Amino acid sequence: MTNVAVGLQGLTKRFGRTVAVDRVTLEIDQGEFFSLLGPSGSGKTTLLRIIAGLEDPDEGRIVIDGKDVTGLPPYARKVGMVFQDFLLFPHMTVGENILFPLRMQGAPRAERDERLGWIVKLLHIDGLEERFPHQLSGGQQQRVALARGLISRPALLLLDEPLANLDRELRKEMEVEVRRYQRELGIPFVYVTHNQEEALTMSDRIAVMRVGRFEQVAPKFEVYSDPATAFVASFVGHANRMRGRVAALEGGRATIDWDGARFAVPAPGGAGVGAAVDVFVKCERLTVLPSGSAAPAGANRLDGVLRDVIFKGQIADYIVARPSGVEIVVSEAASLPRAKAGDTVLITWAPDTGHGFPAEGA
Amino acid sequence: MAAPRRLFYRSETRFLLLGLPGVMFVVFFLLFPIVSVIVFSFWRTESYEIYADWNLDNYRTVLFEGTYLTFLWRSIVTAVVVTAACLVYAWPVAYFIAKYGGRYRLLLVLALAAPFFTGAVLRLSALQAIMGPIGVINMALGMFGLPAVEFLMFNKFASGIGIAYLYLPFMVTAIYLSLLNFNFQLLNVAKVNGARPWRAFLTVTWPLNWIGTAIGITLVFIPCLAESLTPTFLGGPSGKLYGSVLGLQFDQTGTWALGSAMGVLLFAVCCVVIAVMWWTIDLRRTGFTGAGR
Ligand SMILES: Nc1ncnc2c1ncn2[C@@H]1O[C@H](COP(=O)(O)OP(=O)(O)OP(=O)(O)O)[C@@H](O)[C@H]1O
Ligand SMILES: [Mg+2]
Repeated sequence: MTNVAVGLQGLTKRFGRTVAVDRVTLEIDQGEFFSLLGPSGSGKTTLLRIIAGLEDPDEGRIVIDGKDVTGLPPYARKVGMVFQDFLLFPHMTVGENILFPLRMQGAPRAERDERLGWIVKLLHIDGLEERFPHQLSGGQQQRVALARGLISRPALLLLDEPLANLDRELRKEMEVEVRRYQRELGIPFVYVTHNQEEALTMSDRIAVMRVGRFEQVAPKFEVYSDPATAFVASFVGHANRMRGRVAALEGGRATIDWDGARFAVPAPGGAGVGAAVDVFVKCERLTVLPSGSAAPAGANRLDGVLRDVIFKGQIADYIVARPSGVEIVVSEAASLPRAKAGDTVLITWAPDTGHGFPAEGA
Repeated sequence: MAAPRRLFYRSETRFLLLGLPGVMFVVFFLLFPIVSVIVFSFWRTESYEIYADWNLDNYRTVLFEGTYLTFLWRSIVTAVVVTAACLVYAWPVAYFIAKYGGRYRLLLVLALAAPFFTGAVLRLSALQAIMGPIGVINMALGMFGLPAVEFLMFNKFASGIGIAYLYLPFMVTAIYLSLLNFNFQLLNVAKVNGARPWRAFLTVTWPLNWIGTAIGITLVFIPCLAESLTPTFLGGPSGKLYGSVLGLQFDQTGTWALGSAMGVLLFAVCCVVIAVMWWTIDLRRTGFTGAGR
C-alpha cells in the first residue's frame, strides 16, 4: 500500500473545440491539502468534476485508493464534494442534509446518530440540526456543506471554491478552520480556488493551472518564491514585470537592459545575450530609499519619483514612477521610509532575487 | 414638508383596488353560481319549470338510486386512471424539455399545447378519425388484411385515451414550470454523495417538484371527473360518465334541480380531492423558502 491517495494519469477533457483539461497527470498523497489555483476558465472545476465522476474524461485514468475508478459512476467512488454555492437540499433539515451520504450508504441508525453528533461538534454547528438551510447564515450553510462532505469519511474531499461566497472576514476565519479539519481528519483535500492568498494560506502543495494545463506543481513556498514560468510568477504573489533584454551573462547572473537602466538577476533559463526577457520581482522584495542614500554593495538600483503611497495597514504600497513614466510598486512596512509623493527616491534590491523568463510573444 | 398623499396613493386604497378584480371574480364566477346551484338542488323541477319548494328528494334520488352513484364511481375510477397515466407520461416529457430543451424549451411546450388552438370538439373528432372504425389505425390494419382493433372503438378505453389526450398538456405544463425552478445541480450533489440516479430522483427531484406535480394532478383530475364531451364522441354506451348524465339533466330532461344536486355532489368530491392534495403539501418540505419563518 503506497501513500498515494489519488492518481490522475493523462486526463483530458474537450468541450467542442475548447480543451478544458489537457493531459493532467498528478499524484496526491494521503492526508495532503492540495490546491488547484488558476484564473477563471482554466479548467479547475472541470478537473474536479472528472475526479468526482460527474464528467467523463476523453482520455486518461483516475485511481483512488489504488483502485481504478475511471469508468465508475459518482456514487461508487467514495468521494465527497463541496460546492461553491453550498447546494444544500432546501427541503431537508440541516441534520438530514448532513446525514444524506450515510442514508444513501444505508448506515445503521446508531452509527448515523453517533457520526452526526461528532461532526456537528467538530464544525460548531450543534443545535442547528432541526433548522432548514434558508434559516442559516452563509457561514453556517458552508459548514453544513462541509459536514455533509465529511461525514462519511470519504477517501477524498473535493472543494470547488467553497469560500468564494463568504465575506472577507468570514473567509479568513474559515480558511484556518478548514485547514484544521483537514489535519484532524487526515483526509486528502483537493481545493479549487482562484484566490492565491487562500491557496497559499491553506495548502501543502499547489498546482497552478492555465488553459487546462499545469504550469507548476510544487509545495506552496516553492510556487511562491521560485515560480517555474512567467505565468506563475505573475499570477502568484504581487510582482513587477519588467520586459528587457539580456545585455550580458556571467556566472549564473544576467545583466538586463530595461527602461534605460541596468540591473542584475539570476540568469533566465533558455535566453541568450540579446534575447527579450520578462523579469519578475516581487513587490515586497524591493526597498525604497530617499534618493542619495547608500544602497548595500552590489544591490540593483533604480531611480524614480514617488507618485503615491497606498496605505494598507501593516504595509504600504509605494508607487514609484520611472522617468519614462513606467511605474514600479514596492510593498514595505508602512512606517518606512518617511517619503512623500513627489520626492525622488531610489529603489534597490538584491541581485539574487527576481526571476527572468524568455519573453512570451516577443 | 411632504406633499399631502392623494387618495389614490394611500395604501388602503391601493389595497382595495388591487384586491377588487380578484374579489369580483370569486363572487361572480365562483360564489354566485355555486350558491345558486346549491339552492336549486333543494328545489323541484316539473315539466321544464323550477319551483321553489324546499325538499331533499333530489339528494335521495342521487344517493340512493344506484345508477347515479355508479356513474360517479365510474367517473372517479376513470379520473384516477387517466391522471395516473398523464402523470407517468408527463414527467419524462416535462423533464426532457426542462433539462435538454435549451432555447427551444418554450417552443416545445407550445407545441404540446398546440392542439388547444383548435378547441376540444375538433380535437376529439381528430381522435375519432384516428381510432374509430374507419379511422387511420383500422384502415391501415385493414389494408394489410388484419382485423380491426375493437378496443379502440366506442368504449371506456377509447374515451380514457381521449380524456388523457385532452388534459395531458396541463400536467406537462405544471411539471415543466416546476422543473424550470429546479436546480439540477442538486442531482449532482446527490450522486456524489452516494445516491443512485433513481434514488436521487425519489429523494431530491420528486419532493422538490411535488407542488407543481400536485397542481398538475389537480388540474387533470378535476376536469376528468366532470368530463362529458369525450365520452359522447368516443365512449359509446359503456363509456358514459357522471358528467354526461349530469349534462342530460340540463339540456335534455329539464330536471335542473336533480342536475343541481348532482353538481353539488360533484363539487363535494372535488373539495375532498383538493383537501387531500393540500394535505400532502408540507411547505417546509418543498424547498419553498417563504414558509415556516
Ligand atoms: N459543459 C460545458 N460545455 C462547454 N464548455 C465547457 C463546459 N464546462 C466548462 N467548459 C469550458 O471549459 C473551460 C474550463 O471551465 P471550468 O469551469 O473548468 O473553469 P474554472 O477553472 O472552474 O473557472 P472558474 O474559476 O470561473 O470557475 C472553460 O473554457 C469553459 O468555458
Ligand atoms: Mg469553476
